[in-house]
Amino acid sequence: MASLGALTLFGAGALTACGQRTANSVSNAADALLPKTIPLKAQTPDIAGTADGVPAAFYKYPAPFRSVEKAPLNGGTVTAITNLFGTAPNSRDKNPAWQAIEARLGGKVEINAVSSDDYGTKFNTMVAGGDLPDLMLNDGSAIPNIVEFLEAKCADLTPLLGGDAISAYPNLAAIPEIFWKNTVQAGKIYSLPIPRNLTGGSGFVNQTLLQKVGLSSTEEIKDKDDFYKVLKDLTNPSKNQWALGSTKFGMTMMHHIFRTPNQWRNSNGKLTRHIETDEYLAAVEFAAKLYKDGLYVPGSEGWTKSQMVNAFISGKVAMIYDGLPAYTGPTGYGRTLPAANPANKAVPFIPFGYDGGKAQTWLDNITFGTVMLKKNDDAKLKEVLSVANFLAAPFGSEEFLLLNYGVAGTDYTMDANGNPIATDRALLDTAVPWKYLAAPQQVVFDPSDRSIVDTLHSAYSKLIPLGVADPCETLFSPTQATEGSKIMQPVSDAATAVIAGRAQIGTLKDAIAGWKKNGGDTIRAEYEQALNA
Amino acid sequence: MTAWARNLRAGSERPVWMEKPKPGMQVVKLAALVIICFMALYPLFAVLATSLSSQTEIANNNGLVIFPKEPTLAAYRTIFAGGVVTDALLRSLVITVVGTALSLAVTVCMAYGLTRRDLVGGRFFLMTALFTMLFSPGIIPSFLMVKELGLLNSYASLVLPTLMSAFNLVVVRSFFMNLPQELFEAAKIDGAGDFRILIKMVLPLSKGVLAVVGLFYGVGYWNAFFNAMLYLNDDKWPLSMILRQYVLLGQPMGDSAAVAEIAVPSQAIQMAVVVVSLIPIVIVFPFLQRYFTKGVLTGAIKG
Repeated sequence: MASLGALTLFGAGALTACGQRTANSVSNAADALLPKTIPLKAQTPDIAGTADGVPAAFYKYPAPFRSVEKAPLNGGTVTAITNLFGTAPNSRDKNPAWQAIEARLGGKVEINAVSSDDYGTKFNTMVAGGDLPDLMLNDGSAIPNIVEFLEAKCADLTPLLGGDAISAYPNLAAIPEIFWKNTVQAGKIYSLPIPRNLTGGSGFVNQTLLQKVGLSSTEEIKDKDDFYKVLKDLTNPSKNQWALGSTKFGMTMMHHIFRTPNQWRNSNGKLTRHIETDEYLAAVEFAAKLYKDGLYVPGSEGWTKSQMVNAFISGKVAMIYDGLPAYTGPTGYGRTLPAANPANKAVPFIPFGYDGGKAQTWLDNITFGTVMLKKNDDAKLKEVLSVANFLAAPFGSEEFLLLNYGVAGTDYTMDANGNPIATDRALLDTAVPWKYLAAPQQVVFDPSDRSIVDTLHSAYSKLIPLGVADPCETLFSPTQATEGSKIMQPVSDAATAVIAGRAQIGTLKDAIAGWKKNGGDTIRAEYEQALNA
Repeated sequence: MTAWARNLRAGSERPVWMEKPKPGMQVVKLAALVIICFMALYPLFAVLATSLSSQTEIANNNGLVIFPKEPTLAAYRTIFAGGVVTDALLRSLVITVVGTALSLAVTVCMAYGLTRRDLVGGRFFLMTALFTMLFSPGIIPSFLMVKELGLLNSYASLVLPTLMSAFNLVVVRSFFMNLPQELFEAAKIDGAGDFRILIKMVLPLSKGVLAVVGLFYGVGYWNAFFNAMLYLNDDKWPLSMILRQYVLLGQPMGDSAAVAEIAVPSQAIQMAVVVVSLIPIVIVFPFLQRYFTKGVLTGAIKG
């Protein structure tokens, strides 16, 4: 019994110490020496990117250039764990693309690819088992005690990548600074970014249906009342047509129109959560009115993504919310909507202000995640970074072609314009998740139709300047990490009930008050401490 | 008064179901059976048809095609290219057959041993087994055990940790205890040992319960995906994990980073994988159906 008591005391002491260390571990990216951006002088895009972050655009795949001359591995092996979206790939012994990549790398990469739904479970079990691979994806939700984990288990990459040091890895150095901010914790660079195109956009609209009600673009809509009128004109249940229909009501579109903050609003160091703002409530009330007046497909809030996609490309729904990357490619709306409904065209939804002013979009897709490196000696870290440098080869390079399209002749053939066309086995050969270990900045590319590239690039050009970043994106709050999702769920459920007409707005306000009481105020205090540090 | 009652009253004592069926009732029964068959077969047919359809047809039919106008085998070519699905199917078959055989062997041996009154420590072993029905070790201790035994990323990690189920042990033991013990005592008097009695007498009398318990184990091994997710890398995944990945293709969490020019719709691929995974069950079940029916009833009726 005495020993049990001693154990309890020891355990309690250790836990208390653990809690004190975590509670004060807030972080700000401004404290770190970020890598210097060194653009690669490689391919000239058809439409140049901008300093704002608007991506470059290509109408066809450029003549490939070699970006990595020397094989990073000298017969060695690198281990990794990362997400797998979609199909499991062909195994290495039956995968010519995998074999060719490892031949270029000069060694082996043992990847533990885990379905995104299971990643948290598997990763945390692996951590508990003490068996960490060299490269580990941080998807933003799998690791609740991220700061402690980084400090205890992950390499500080600042000496190897900070400032001019990154020039040893030219492909990583070409990634702009905005993407590196998410890799910083406690003033150190702890991981590599997986860049995306800054904004997920505001959704898509069937332009042909819009033209039938007298508009060529949603930019012509004046305000929320004009929007309501347009939606009413687009809705005709007797012809199986509705204006709106998206999973969870496609609320991002509404929030952009009503200028809801991107997660938090920072007013001189004072933070307000988006759910606490009048704009948020106004967007919810507007959506509730639209639902009540029958402008949403009944029940569409519960649709799977496949159901939403089918409804849009069949012409049943005029406007949906989906991320901008869903526009290009053979399964993108740019191609699938006209294929299903000839003479119909999908375009990105460009939002307008609810009061006639400008809209506000979100910079909510800066990185997919980050990739941490296990603590190791410098030689091993440099080897792993060299592999990451290979995987981050830019669009237009031989390495990018190999990683994303596979082996020429087996996984793809080139058409008359030099664009790769996939064979039947390409899907499974190229499903190895290299792009979730390291990746370059994205570009806009679709070889099938120049207008798809022009349309999407134009959308990015309009949406990114309207974008606001989450002021807390590069900060860390321990309470947000452990409790954030749990205490936000009742608010999300209440909003769904209000929009679907099952509850009044008071229910949502009560849920928001509950969020504040159950941890929201603590999260705010932690973020403000980091912001003002 | 019903026809049966009238017949009884008249003294004929023929129940209604022995009378010649009326044409009207035959039509009603036929219609009912057709409707039930249709309800059972329609989803399977729609799955097959959707697996043969293009994105346009799938979209225009709200995700479920019945008669594809331009059927295509693109989805099947995609999933069979490289052998991910066929390899996973073979793995699942081997794991299921080997795992079921081993589990049955271990369960039968332990159940028979626990029926012997003279077994030293029998009660202790039984209680230990029953304890596992109430308490499980949890994910991390199980992972650590599998790791320490060197079973990570091996097929044995799907079989050994779940080799014996306490529930199945209880079912088999109960069945063995209801067999006529006099037979075994007579065999012992004639000089037969326990092992001979088990093989020559007990097992032949236990086909029904073995089929049922074998089914439980077989379904468990065939569907096992959580242990596969935890202990195996994707190059050793069984069919359940591969199928789950294809089903998740349609989920909104997917990251839409640039991919090659691959135009096969995800729903067609999902349905094709469902069709392929049904084939082994459709082949095996008709041969085992009578054993399951008999075995379930045998387990349900005591004495």
